[in-house]
Amino acid sequence: MLSMQNISMVYRTDLVETHALREFSLEVKEGDFVSVTGPSGSGKTTFLNIAGLLEKFTDGRYELDGRDVSALSDTESSAVRNEKIGFIFQSFNLIPDLNLFDNVDVPLRYRGFKSAERKRRIEGVLDTVGLASRMKHLPSQLSGGQQQRVAIARALAGEPRFLLADEPTGNLDSQMAMSVMELIAEINRGGTTIIMVTHDPTLADMASRNVHIRDGRVSDIATDTQLAEVATG
Amino acid sequence: MDIGPIWRAMMRNKTGAILIALQIAVTMAIMVNAISIMQERSRMMARPSGIDEQNIFYISSIGFAEDFNERVTIEEDLAALRGMPGVVNAIQSNSVPLSGGGWSMGLQTEPGAEIDGTGVALYFIDEHGLDTFGLNLLAGENFSATEVEWRERSATEWPDRVIITQAMAEALYPDDPDGALGKTVYIGDDEPLTISGIIEQMQAPWNGWNGVERVMLTPLHTLFGSTRYIIRAEPGRRDGLMPEVEKLLAERNKNRIVRSMRTMDETRERSYRGDASMIKMLTFTIALLVAITALGIVGLASFSVNRRTRQIGTRRALGASRAAILRYFMTENFLISLVGVVVGAVLTVGLNMFMVETFSLTRVAWYLVPAAMLILCIAGQIAVFGPAKRASTVPPAVATRTV
Repeated sequence: MLSMQNISMVYRTDLVETHALREFSLEVKEGDFVSVTGPSGSGKTTFLNIAGLLEKFTDGRYELDGRDVSALSDTESSAVRNEKIGFIFQSFNLIPDLNLFDNVDVPLRYRGFKSAERKRRIEGVLDTVGLASRMKHLPSQLSGGQQQRVAIARALAGEPRFLLADEPTGNLDSQMAMSVMELIAEINRGGTTIIMVTHDPTLADMASRNVHIRDGRVSDIATDTQLAEVATG
Repeated sequence: MDIGPIWRAMMRNKTGAILIALQIAVTMAIMVNAISIMQERSRMMARPSGIDEQNIFYISSIGFAEDFNERVTIEEDLAALRGMPGVVNAIQSNSVPLSGGGWSMGLQTEPGAEIDGTGVALYFIDEHGLDTFGLNLLAGENFSATEVEWRERSATEWPDRVIITQAMAEALYPDDPDGALGKTVYIGDDEPLTISGIIEQMQAPWNGWNGVERVMLTPLHTLFGSTRYIIRAEPGRRDGLMPEVEKLLAERNKNRIVRSMRTMDETRERSYRGDASMIKMLTFTIALLVAITALGIVGLASFSVNRRTRQIGTRRALGASRAAILRYFMTENFLISLVGVVVGAVLTVGLNMFMVETFSLTRVAWYLVPAAMLILCIAGQIAVFGPAKRASTVPPAVATRTV
């Protein structure tokens, strides 16, 4: 499903060279629910960006669904992101000027679906996240938890092969966080592969597998102790 | 096309868009009406005067000495001028087309003080007049040398026969302009004149007069103290003749001043100088307005791109290609421009109706409105291209940045 071999990512300026990822390797299988933990600056977001084709990496090999994605053009990357990957962001990243229907519609329009097909999918996913009755509302009229549910609906509308979640509960209180996590877990049980970056060891524990990153490398499968360390500091 | 969501999103944040649309509308209204005025002025400037402008020049002679014999001087001057190599013909006349100064009277088809006359510009010429001006006699006959009279400034009587332009014939006899020849018209309420000839075209001295082509030629020499000679040169010899004529007149009689020599080309240029300046000023105004509007569009689009950087990154993450982002901003601007030009079309017509009513301008040509709509939409697309291009380069990774 996802295979990274010796991925390196170096950010260069005139004065500084920062190695965000060093010989990073990871295999994720179809249906996995992987949590990625690590201290701040360890390279979690860089990993997520590369996994989601949001950034090009400096060196190494990355195969997504058996396809080498290192040499894709911008248009091809965009198409792969649109068709195969769903994103859930920490700050929800809903478009404030669009109602829920139009927000969920955004990736579907880029996919080129016909109007009726888009409508069917949007209503379906909003129903799944329990917000079908509020599709004409603006994001600002919803609570944080509801906004994240809309973001999840948007990610699911295109029926992606895998879902990338960047601190999906980072801006939610614990009750809402748990509700969102239950939804994510349910999506995983439906067969969608999920990679979730989180600081929260409790949430990381809900994944079937934990990957710990330190200094741009996979440290190991995260232990409870390491997760506790992440949580405190 | 994503017109629906773009429109809905814009309507939720519409102040900037409305202001730009209004700016486009006002620009269009001013632009179209200004172009219409320019067209009108250009048409006016392009009207032919009916005379051989390229080869005609004129010069004034003013006697100052006590023993200065004006009549003899004029007769001798004209004989000398007509004898000069390169001169086609020469006359004395009271005025020159488009010069701004001349005579006008009212002609009426029936005698009587209670009848309104039709305004007509008067040129006093002799039998050489038609040839000197290069006028085309359509009907009737030229004046003869014997019927040319000498007129003092205080005289009130008029010669019996006159030649008028076709336009004057149409004004006097709208139902039968071709039958004007030989008819009697009245000047000064009841003094009869016979129309002995009709010329195709000649303009009055005043280019802004609505009867500019209503002209009457009368066989007169004037004894007004100051006289003006009109000289028609052979093609290509005008500029060479001008200093020779000045020298000839100056040397022939030392009791007068010779001055104000000018070509008809200069006269035309001076006559329409105000119109030409207005065209330049309006062109500059239009360019300035379009530039300001384009800058407004650039400003709004740049602000919009900066404000929505995160949103653009999110769209990219969700699958938008660079081209899709470019298209998004171009479409957004197109919608704003479209609203602007539609409102602008209404404003344009309204402003034109006001100007037609108030300043008696002509109606805007119908094709100017769609042409301006198209031009402003294209200008908007060009203006927004830079910011839109910049938006398309926002990397998708911006979506995951927390700051």
